[in-house]
Amino acid sequence: MLFSIVVSGVAIGCVYALIGIAYNVMFSASRVFSFTAGTLGMAGGILGALFILKLGLPVWAGFLLALAGGAVLGVVTEILAVRPVLKSLDQHLYVLSTLALALIVQQFAAIEWGTDAQPFPRLLNLERSSFDQTFWLPMLACAITIVGLEMLYRRTLLGHAFLAIAEDNYAARALGLPERNLRMASFALAGVIGALSGFAGGQMLLANFDIATQLTFYGFVPVALGGMGNNRGAVIAGLVLGLFQQAANFLVGGVFSSVAVFVAFILVLLARPEGLAGVALGRRV
Amino acid sequence: MALTRRQALKTAGAAVAAAGIAKPAIAQSGPIQVGYLPALTGPSSSTGVGISRGTELAVQEINKAGGIKGRMIELIQRDTQSDPTKAVNATAELTRAAKVSVVFGPLNSGESLAVVPILARQNILQIHPCWVDSLTDVKKYPMCFRNAPTNQQIGHASNRYVVEVLKKKKVAVISDTAGYGTASLKAYVPMLKEMKADVVYENSVDAANPDLKPELLRMQSAGAEAIMPWSVNAGFLSRIINTRGQMAWDVPICGQTTLGSGQTKALLEKPEYWNKVYPNNFRPVCYDSTGKLPERAHAFVERLKSNKVDMNDTLLWWIAVGYDSPYMMAEAMKAVGTDTKALTDYFNKMKKFAGVYGDISFSPDNHDGYPDAQVVMVEANSLKEGAFNLAPGYGAS
Amino acid sequence: MDMSTTGIRPARASFLSSPAVSTALPWLGLAIIGSTLPLWAGGYWGVIATRACIYWVLVAGLNLLVGFAGQLAIGWVALLTLGAYITAVLTAGQAVPALDPYLALAISAVAGAVFGVVVGLPALRLRTFYFAITTLGFATIVRQIALAWSTVTGGGVGVAGPVFPEPFDSQWGFYYLCLIFAAICTWMTINIAGSRFGRALTAIRDAEVAAEASGIAKPRLLMAVFVFSGATAAVAGGLFASLQSYITPDAFTTELSVLFFIGVLIGGRGSIIGPLLGTILLTVLPEFAAPLVAWSTFLYAVLLLAIVLTMPGGIAELIDFKNRRPLQTNRAIVPRPELLKRLLAEDQEPGTLTLEQVELHFGGVRAIDGLDLTIVPGQVHGLIGPNGSGKTTTLNVISGYYIPQNGRAVLRGAVLTQLAHHRRAHMRIARTFQTPRIVGEASVLENVMIGGTIDGTGTFFESLLALPRHWKDEKKLRETATLALSAVGLEQLAHVRADRLQHSELRFVEIARALMLRPAFLLLDEPAAGLSADEIRRLGTLVVAMAKNGAGVLLVEHHADLIFDICDLVTVLNLGKKLAAGTPAEIRSHREVVSAYLGG
Repeated sequence: MLFSIVVSGVAIGCVYALIGIAYNVMFSASRVFSFTAGTLGMAGGILGALFILKLGLPVWAGFLLALAGGAVLGVVTEILAVRPVLKSLDQHLYVLSTLALALIVQQFAAIEWGTDAQPFPRLLNLERSSFDQTFWLPMLACAITIVGLEMLYRRTLLGHAFLAIAEDNYAARALGLPERNLRMASFALAGVIGALSGFAGGQMLLANFDIATQLTFYGFVPVALGGMGNNRGAVIAGLVLGLFQQAANFLVGGVFSSVAVFVAFILVLLARPEGLAGVALGRRV
Repeated sequence: MALTRRQALKTAGAAVAAAGIAKPAIAQSGPIQVGYLPALTGPSSSTGVGISRGTELAVQEINKAGGIKGRMIELIQRDTQSDPTKAVNATAELTRAAKVSVVFGPLNSGESLAVVPILARQNILQIHPCWVDSLTDVKKYPMCFRNAPTNQQIGHASNRYVVEVLKKKKVAVISDTAGYGTASLKAYVPMLKEMKADVVYENSVDAANPDLKPELLRMQSAGAEAIMPWSVNAGFLSRIINTRGQMAWDVPICGQTTLGSGQTKALLEKPEYWNKVYPNNFRPVCYDSTGKLPERAHAFVERLKSNKVDMNDTLLWWIAVGYDSPYMMAEAMKAVGTDTKALTDYFNKMKKFAGVYGDISFSPDNHDGYPDAQVVMVEANSLKEGAFNLAPGYGAS
Repeated sequence: MDMSTTGIRPARASFLSSPAVSTALPWLGLAIIGSTLPLWAGGYWGVIATRACIYWVLVAGLNLLVGFAGQLAIGWVALLTLGAYITAVLTAGQAVPALDPYLALAISAVAGAVFGVVVGLPALRLRTFYFAITTLGFATIVRQIALAWSTVTGGGVGVAGPVFPEPFDSQWGFYYLCLIFAAICTWMTINIAGSRFGRALTAIRDAEVAAEASGIAKPRLLMAVFVFSGATAAVAGGLFASLQSYITPDAFTTELSVLFFIGVLIGGRGSIIGPLLGTILLTVLPEFAAPLVAWSTFLYAVLLLAIVLTMPGGIAELIDFKNRRPLQTNRAIVPRPELLKRLLAEDQEPGTLTLEQVELHFGGVRAIDGLDLTIVPGQVHGLIGPNGSGKTTTLNVISGYYIPQNGRAVLRGAVLTQLAHHRRAHMRIARTFQTPRIVGEASVLENVMIGGTIDGTGTFFESLLALPRHWKDEKKLRETATLALSAVGLEQLAHVRADRLQHSELRFVEIARALMLRPAFLLLDEPAAGLSADEIRRLGTLVVAMAKNGAGVLLVEHHADLIFDICDLVTVLNLGKKLAAGTPAEIRSHREVVSAYLGG
């Protein structure tokens, strides 16, 4: 029983953590929190089911196409909902524009794909076990993403450029870094990570438009608790969240488990608004 | 702003003109307008989509056969979108703009809960197939009739099957956290206890929970001999079925009709997981031991096939109840005309309307028309063209 | 002096386009249409109109929160749910003995007020996006509790809505009840919008640091708005339950919450008529075409995106005809320093503002390293130094945005550094900012009136109900602000939207706003940046006049000429330390100053 809780808790926690990382990548590139992170996860699941089950493509092709779809969605987010409102960041228009875009994509999916959960294909042809691919695929995806991002940021020129525009936008531009292209690339990357989350978690969560709202909230909790822009914090917080949620489901059950998660989240946030590992707000004047 | 109001005036005027009626009763000539409130979109739309196929076919047939004493039936349909708020708006449009005085629907309990009192206040005759117990009341809603079972009847049939036919005494009852699920759980657990069953597990679980293994493990360690899930969420139900299969735990799953739907089937990991799953269904539309449908249902399926109505992605009983309802109204109108008071009196005395879905009877004290005996359990994995075999052990009961 | 008519007065004044009538016209139209609806619209549109009135009751309150205060409460449907259930349960008579519907509605309003504060509390601690997410969390919590607490709420099966007694029990009767509530909410929010509280809210939203410097206490004001918005949302919930005749948890969807939110934003921030029209639009739109109904949320989202990208001002901006008229192109700012006497000639208590050995560091960086500074009333004290030497930081310490690790600021014996920053305004310390902080969408006059917010005597409640003290405050603030604008030379632009002004004019607007505090001490942060030579001269005259009328001015500047022209004393900072201090003549020839900063 404990094994079950831990396995499913860690697995769902990895899904949440990946969405949190998607939030972070978008935030690092633009100082903007985008409501589309959860929608990216939904897209990964739905596109995966669409390509592999409905269109009959092989698993690897469906995988790549789903990630590509996420990248496209990410770039569209940057162009439509982020770039135009960057000059008035203090008006928080980005909350509205990304919310609107997320709703547009979600509603479109609901109407075209349907509001019922659809099956998600079995990705690897292996026997079922108690530590099934349903659970370790998201964990693998999370691990690969973290390692990949580390290598990207530390070893490649592109990664260094990403870090530069995240740390000091003006200086980076002064150095001649192509800020806009880098931002688009960041959003594409976030799109890929979000779609990966939905795709890897698809067997667990099924292909469902409803997932978007769930992931928007539960994917944000790791960001809030782990500190903005802090990927390692997001992963740890995501795992804690997943375990807490599954434990609450098991111990308290039913409605009260989600209430418990919300209440815990709000209380922690009130105690430490910058997150458990984050830095306090900088100079305003 | 002024534009909006002007447009409003124009549209209202157009609606009134199109309806061509300014009197509260149905006009004595011209088409007979019947209001119809299905949920064709939104989370609870699978029922509405299925039922509509039957309703549309029935209206078509009735009109082709000459209508009701020469007058055609006109279905005035508004999609409620599975949303009680939109259902209230749609009801207002039907009853006040289009001025219908007979309504079929809504088809989901959540919407009916809001619409039934509103229609009662306006003295509109209403027929609906929703299950929540409080949706009929001869005193509060004298013109509201239900041509489907109540939640009590459904629960009773399932409980009886588990406790008396399968002879399982230790039962686990699980629901999702939606309205229907929690209401059912709260109603059925006491009913089980009354039958001297031992409810070893009862819980409402979030339907979005991706892993139900801890729940089933708890059921197993409590000694459950049968699982009874109550939910219309195919994802939730499929997870229960799949987990039971993964655990290789041989207990029957018996409960909500959606356990047998095509959507649930699509979400199963292995087809054999669907063994020993017994959803509710209705005897008049089930295959008997020789694999044949009852006479009436058989003829109905032939008609559906010749009209190219798809049965494979839905349930036959949904199409059937949609089909029966216009016919029931037509029979009443042929007998006593279109005055709603006369129609109410007719329904109050109606005995055994021979529908495809069931034999409906009402009385002045009882507006729940579906007979207890016709609610049965079926075998999920026998799904063929939207219908199932009776579950084993039924015999003649 | 140029007194050309810019902004709102048209060349040919006609009755219909006069400002009073053009503002009143849409309201009059709505009132007529609303009250005569039964005469010309059918029962169906009556239901839709009733729904629009109910939604507006909620949106009116939410508008103050989202549109005016800028708090993105996306999940406010939580309060609607709460109000609906409380009213329904109290009148149903099942869980508790049945109460009179009006009493139930009143109780629900009180509960809404309290819960509004609970949901709103995180706004004081959290960043915008975080707060938005927590409100979504609250919406889910309330719905889940309604689902789970079935002994009281009926759980998934729900509970019957209240029926109001005669004459409001018929369809049109109920419509009029909702119309009355909608009208009352409209009146109350118009009152707040035109009060110092409404302006303070927009200041918090768009120019938070300026709001603090003007003494506006954000927590108290926001709490008042959360109370009001919570109460109106709960009342809307009770009316909603009656319209629906039966409520279940699944009626309170996230889509509904987003609809309210979009209604405010389509309408435009800081407006009342805009969100009202927006709400009507969103309620009525899906009813025009049945196929549209399924796509309604999709269309709302498209509309929202379109508005955010093309016309963030929303409907309000669309119907703001008076700000479309062109402004005169070559305007001059001509201050009238002689008016300062009336603004500053209060009982100025003698006292100096002293900084004693102030040390402030951020991590390893010593921004201010042991600074002593004295500002004397009646003197202009210049503060100069290279970039990064700590000039603005010094101002910020005096204003209270930073608490120094060591040392203190003292005024008349009171240790300033122990006071919260918004209390400094009460000590009559006013300031301007390096980049002008103004409310772009408000008029120049309203921006200046923000400066005098703390001079009001009426409470939020009195403004809500337009009681006498509200009008008294408004009159006084308006007069003082007009005087301040005349003093700085901008009175002809009083009714123009502030974001249409040139940069240099905005700097003078900030000074006018600062003057509203009748300051004993005035801190000016690079006021000459971006000004033409002519404007710098007039600025200088104004500053000197302010000092002559008794204010102590601390002038941070890069324009050496201005400093040496008007300052009585000059302090030079370098790397957070005082490099030199003295009269302008002494400083000008100081060796180190010349080499570090002035140049040969």
